[in-house]
Amino acid sequence: MDLMTTLPIIIDTDPGIDDSIALLTAFVSPELDILGITPVCGNQPLASTLRNALQICELGGRSDVPVHAGCFRPLLREPIHGQFHGTTGLGNTVLPDPVKTAEATSAVAFIIASCEAAAASGRKITICSLGPLTNLAVALRMKPAITEGIEKLVMMGGAYREAGNRSMTSEFNVLADPHAAHIVFSSGIPIVALALDATHQVILTPDHVSQFAAVSGRISEPLSQLMAFWDRNDVKRYGSRGGPLHDPLVIAYLLAPELFQTQPARVFVEHESELCMGQTIADWHGKSGLAPNAEIVVKVDAPAVIALFLERLSRYDAKVTA
Amino acid sequence: MNRQRIIVDTDPGVDDAAAILMALASPELEVLGISVVGGNVPLQATLANACKILALAGRPEVPVFAGAPGPLVRQQVFGKYAAIGAFSDTLLPPTDLRPADEHAVDFIIRSARAAIAEPITICAIGPLTNIALALVQHPDVAKGIARIVAMGGAFTALGHRTPWAEFNVYADPHAAEIVHGSGIEVVAMPLDVTFQALFTAEHIAGFRNTGGAVGRALADLLTTYDRSDIARFGRPGGPIHDAMTIAWLLQPELFKGRPAAIGVQVTGKTAGYSYADYHGKTERAARATIIESVDEAGFIALLSQRLSRYGQAAPRAGG
Repeated sequence: MDLMTTLPIIIDTDPGIDDSIALLTAFVSPELDILGITPVCGNQPLASTLRNALQICELGGRSDVPVHAGCFRPLLREPIHGQFHGTTGLGNTVLPDPVKTAEATSAVAFIIASCEAAAASGRKITICSLGPLTNLAVALRMKPAITEGIEKLVMMGGAYREAGNRSMTSEFNVLADPHAAHIVFSSGIPIVALALDATHQVILTPDHVSQFAAVSGRISEPLSQLMAFWDRNDVKRYGSRGGPLHDPLVIAYLLAPELFQTQPARVFVEHESELCMGQTIADWHGKSGLAPNAEIVVKVDAPAVIALFLERLSRYDAKVTA
Repeated sequence: MNRQRIIVDTDPGVDDAAAILMALASPELEVLGISVVGGNVPLQATLANACKILALAGRPEVPVFAGAPGPLVRQQVFGKYAAIGAFSDTLLPPTDLRPADEHAVDFIIRSARAAIAEPITICAIGPLTNIALALVQHPDVAKGIARIVAMGGAFTALGHRTPWAEFNVYADPHAAEIVHGSGIEVVAMPLDVTFQALFTAEHIAGFRNTGGAVGRALADLLTTYDRSDIARFGRPGGPIHDAMTIAWLLQPELFKGRPAAIGVQVTGKTAGYSYADYHGKTERAARATIIESVDEAGFIALLSQRLSRYGQAAPRAGG
């Protein structure tokens, strides 16, 4: 595929187990032109998310993708980290020390330069956010005009009709940096929001994990370890064994948007109240008088999404890179 | 002389102009660059003003960097004197000087990270947006900053911009909270002290008579945008807030202060209120020194003396 038909994306991420599955899927999707990966403080401190991103690039045979270190902390809140990713961020999975190193340019500088170039060339970038939105928010506040180089933001984060997963009201990525989320939702960038409302519809069950292990060739062992660690073992909460496939849905949406139903709404992010900090509030019915700023995914064709991932990850069986 | 290396982070602004001109006339200071932020007036105007100030001072080699145009989270507000906008060509001559390509935030990050062995000082005389945006990007940024001398806040001298807040903090309370939570040493020049030194028409005439073209231009600015307020100050004259940060670097003995932790209210009706914790009542360590008093005559003499260097045949400006 050439530049005209591939989708230029930046993956802003905090790997993280589900981030890693998202990256490994993107790596074997030639429809996506991954301009760079920008790890941020989130599921783990930056040192870990950066190292994990480098390791996952090498695991996926994509050392060619530049990795740029992002912000080491949220804007105002003290850092919080994920609870389901083990001590390294990759569960029990042990990968070789990375040979690949981060680029000299910071994530924020990379995002700004890429978006400015995109605005000039007209080949606008889709930002894929799998973590707290600190990097993008800082870039937007430094250079608000970068919105002209952004096609849209497809983000995993928030919880609308669904309750929170890190606090009563709030999903982890938004709670980790609610000010950044507020900045992004106020920026005018078109947003596709994959919130818990969507991700809780796609549970990666132990049966799925066996299927993925069977097809994924040379990454089978680390992939199935990552996926097995992801099992919340909370049938009461999720309706089955397994864990929600949060971040990979961003990549699935890019590849097959027809599998996702969305509903437009104006989204507000609570960044003032301690009780509801990080809550995402959707104005479904025009109460605010403001135009929608997001398409919120409300329904996912879960079996088709699982089939899509199976097909993509089976590509590791046949060849090393996309 | 072992010169102090400083960055002036600023939103010029009349009293910013006085501070920058004072710094550039002080050989004790090496001005690494001027990082500009939206504040008193919009960024395009603060940038144009910064370039004009450097041209006026005859210091085109000092780089100017464009920073954040607006605050992190709150809606943008401008200064009391926002109507000034860019200084008119009548007040300050036009110039071909333009900002460097590098972003002010990147300049701060680069300068600080290169200075860990010998950290630099930032004179922050506008909203703290640029510095906050630099601090979150790499932990080494804080390590390369010895201290931030910041004009901002009000503890007892309330009721300037709002009943609870001074402009620089009010304009970006989140940025101020980030800076005060960063662990960096801050020397805070609140309104409480900047109101203690009032420049009268006589002092300003002194700038005009002794400071050459620079003195005349600054006198014009200070006269056109008169800061005096008899009702508030009870005597003639007006403050030149931002210049106190430079004076502290040159002659800290003119000032008295107390250690405290500073916190900033970022939410609700009183957003922008800054509070001092002198007694360890909060979790935050006392990393600030809140300046409470100034030797008024000493400060006025120091600023006047530095500006007079622009009137000397061979000005001994800092290089």
